[in-house]
Amino acid sequence: MAEITLDTVSKSFGAVKVIDDISLTVAAGEFVVFLGPSGSGKSTLLRMIAGLETIDSGRLEIGGRESQNLAPGQRNVAMVFQNYALYPHMSVRENMAFGLRNIRMAPDEITRRVEEAARILEMDALLDRRPAQLSGGQRQRVAIGRAIVKEPAAFLFDEPLSNLDAALRVRTRVELAELHQRMQSTMIYVTHDQTEAMTMADRIVVLNDCRIEQIGTPMEVYTAPATRFVAGFIGSPAMNFLPVQIEGSAAVLADGARVPLTVAPEGAAELGIRPEAVQVVGPDEAVVTGEARVVEHLGDRTLIYAVLPGGAEIIAQDGGRSTVAPGDAVPLRFDTSQLHLFDAAGRALPAA
Amino acid sequence: MIRNSRKESLIAYALIAPFVAIYGLIFIYPTIDMFILSFQDAPLIGSGDWVGSDNYTRLGRDRRFGTAAWNTAYFVALSVLPGTLVALGIALGVSRLSGRLQALVLALFFLPYILPVSVVFRLWDWTLNFQFGIAMHLFDWVGIDRVPIFKVTAWFMPAVAFVTIWWTCGFSILLFLAGLRAIPQEIYEAAALDNTSRWRTFRRITWPLLWPVTALVLTIQLILQLKIFDQVYLFSQGGRPNDNLVMVYYIFQRAFVNDHGGRAAAIAVVLFFVVIIVSVLNFQLMRFAERRQ
Amino acid sequence: MSGPMTAQTARRFNLAGGAITLVTVICAVIWAFPIYWGIISSLKPEDEVVRPVIELWPETLTFDHYWFALTETQIGSWYLNSIVTALGVTFITVTTSMFAGYAISQLRFPGRTALWWLILASFMVPTQVLIINHFVLMANMGLLNSWAGIILPQLIHPVIIIVYKQFFDQVPRDFREAAVMDNASEWRILFKVYVPMNWGVTTALSIVTFIWAWNAFLWPFLAVTKTEMMTITVGITQVWDAFGVYYARQLSAAVLAGFPVALAYLLFQRRVTQAITLSAGIKG
Repeated sequence: MAEITLDTVSKSFGAVKVIDDISLTVAAGEFVVFLGPSGSGKSTLLRMIAGLETIDSGRLEIGGRESQNLAPGQRNVAMVFQNYALYPHMSVRENMAFGLRNIRMAPDEITRRVEEAARILEMDALLDRRPAQLSGGQRQRVAIGRAIVKEPAAFLFDEPLSNLDAALRVRTRVELAELHQRMQSTMIYVTHDQTEAMTMADRIVVLNDCRIEQIGTPMEVYTAPATRFVAGFIGSPAMNFLPVQIEGSAAVLADGARVPLTVAPEGAAELGIRPEAVQVVGPDEAVVTGEARVVEHLGDRTLIYAVLPGGAEIIAQDGGRSTVAPGDAVPLRFDTSQLHLFDAAGRALPAA
Repeated sequence: MIRNSRKESLIAYALIAPFVAIYGLIFIYPTIDMFILSFQDAPLIGSGDWVGSDNYTRLGRDRRFGTAAWNTAYFVALSVLPGTLVALGIALGVSRLSGRLQALVLALFFLPYILPVSVVFRLWDWTLNFQFGIAMHLFDWVGIDRVPIFKVTAWFMPAVAFVTIWWTCGFSILLFLAGLRAIPQEIYEAAALDNTSRWRTFRRITWPLLWPVTALVLTIQLILQLKIFDQVYLFSQGGRPNDNLVMVYYIFQRAFVNDHGGRAAAIAVVLFFVVIIVSVLNFQLMRFAERRQ
Repeated sequence: MSGPMTAQTARRFNLAGGAITLVTVICAVIWAFPIYWGIISSLKPEDEVVRPVIELWPETLTFDHYWFALTETQIGSWYLNSIVTALGVTFITVTTSMFAGYAISQLRFPGRTALWWLILASFMVPTQVLIINHFVLMANMGLLNSWAGIILPQLIHPVIIIVYKQFFDQVPRDFREAAVMDNASEWRILFKVYVPMNWGVTTALSIVTFIWAWNAFLWPFLAVTKTEMMTITVGITQVWDAFGVYYARQLSAAVLAGFPVALAYLLFQRRVTQAITLSAGIKG
């Protein structure tokens, strides 16, 4: 269990900058998720911590030890690969023992650790099988077991669930969270799946375009996105964005409808509001009335894809038994406690 | 990945060292030596005088060289295209079969390729034996006069080409089968739904899709057959080797029978360039064809 | 006639298909017949062999010719020479090619590209033209009539490096990275990860290299003049007085010479065909 610190770390592939001046501290025992779209640099950042990619400039400390120039094996971190990379010619036991044999650990210590890991992951019965004889979920566990036996300062996960089917993914997600609770070790987890990030992370690092957009707990990232990118990337269905003019204490939509605000600087801005804060109400309570185009009944709730008079598209949420039909005029109200404002550069403005 | 490039290079050199050592000794040095020797009037073993391009100019007037070049070309013509067609036919037949029957039939066609040339020689020398060969019964039955096939110049090359096709066909069959397997079954199913006849299916689907493999087989066969020696030498034993000369045989004869190391090296250089030019031309042609597709 | 295939055309289709199948099977039997005929003839007494009738099965089955070949000729030494030289060629070729293929595929070092081009270029050079200079070289090294002399010039098989490189290239990068994370040294990555992961191709390449080396004729024929040092492919055709003009004896020697490779093929049929298609640059 160790703290990991990145200090103004950068990296380029030729002329292309892939990591731009990133600073970050992962506390000991913390579960941090790097979340971002593909090409955001999240995997590269993880691989730089692992030592699989070089760090061009900046400092990396793992457990207080300067590590940016150490070989991967010397950094005392373990990694779980997306495709698991289980050696196909070795049994599960040999797969887990390989890394320990490489550092000439005493055989009984190796046996002890392998059996301990097998016990933790409940795969004692599988130890003598080959990877080809295992199911996808079992292989996943072996990959984690191979990391556990090293008793590393930190675990690095590179999209480890992306090869599992949906049901298994949910189950493994819970297991991983449990594993973290039990082992209390530092874990860094890379994913593009916001559900994984929201459910497992102590803190989420949202990356976009080689930079950190925001670092925060899942709820912070969800309720107070620091940028328009974070606001749009997290949450499903995605947040609605409407161009507005801020006049006095209200945001004016394109068709002239006014949404009351408490504080905000004057001028053009973008109003962000999540579908669950756009409610279908009676005509007299409405701020604005849209025309329903598509209605999706999800059982517990209903999503209404509507067009506002100004032409803007908006997604509203109604109860599970909503009677709105396509073509209907839907009166909408915005929950003013859940409004977000973004300036032209995409930065969040203090609002609501 | 963090790499220690100095250490990595050292490991790499350690890994390639045995190969490079063998390669230098057995390949690069002899190749250079061959060129040098070809400009000398030297015996097989021992030094000789520098004679410039004499060994080459003499080839123009050399009747045995002419025979060797002609026979090699003749043999190539007799073996490459017919061999490829036979292999294609067999592969098409074998690909229709499945399961154990296919494995068995393929094994029967492929087995000759596995055998040493000496065994192939013994088998066919016996099968085509003038007095006792079983093939002569066939001759009698058809009504042709029996001939001592490998003793008659007119029969020699066609017969050797025939035996060579029998011997090496298995290799081409394998390549054709791999090519046929690479054609997706859905295409044939679509053709069947379109009521395409068997012949049209072959002409319009199988043949065009198989063309790259056909070109590969032709190339490999062509280069292989230019280097023919073993069969010709063995079947010529006790016959008329001077009429049956091929290029490699002539190199062998000049060097090991006449003890003319320099003149033999000149022939070797000629063959060296012929094979390389053919290889390069083929390579370019195939690349051109690929780009056109 | 348009629309879906009628029952009649379907039947005609199947009939033609059946005929093709039958013809293929018959051709296969005829194709392999000379081998059968050679084996059968070697099992007949000499007087029966030269009888002017076709006997598809010997009237009197005899192993006398084999007994003669094994006891009265030097075939035992030839066998030994063939086994030693073929195994030597196989072992040296496969190991050196595996190492070189790994270095070219996985490591970065000055001269890598040049080496790769050299290997590709040597693919085109016919080794038959080098016989004179191989002979001179082996003579100068005093290796004629020795196992080493038979083995050395047969070690040029660039195709094996090319196949190895392809296979090592195809190992996903994850495995190398996992091994690096596992603290494995470069040697352990090679011997504990890459080589074991490619045992299949090593087996296949070893079998075909052995077959090629066993079947080699031209070089062993030149490198050896002493009858006791000959390989079996050379011995059975070049030692005239060994068998005399006894066809059955000659054929029994041929059967003995072909037996090991035929057996290797029949036992490892899939591996052999895989390696051969690979060696031609096609993924089997």
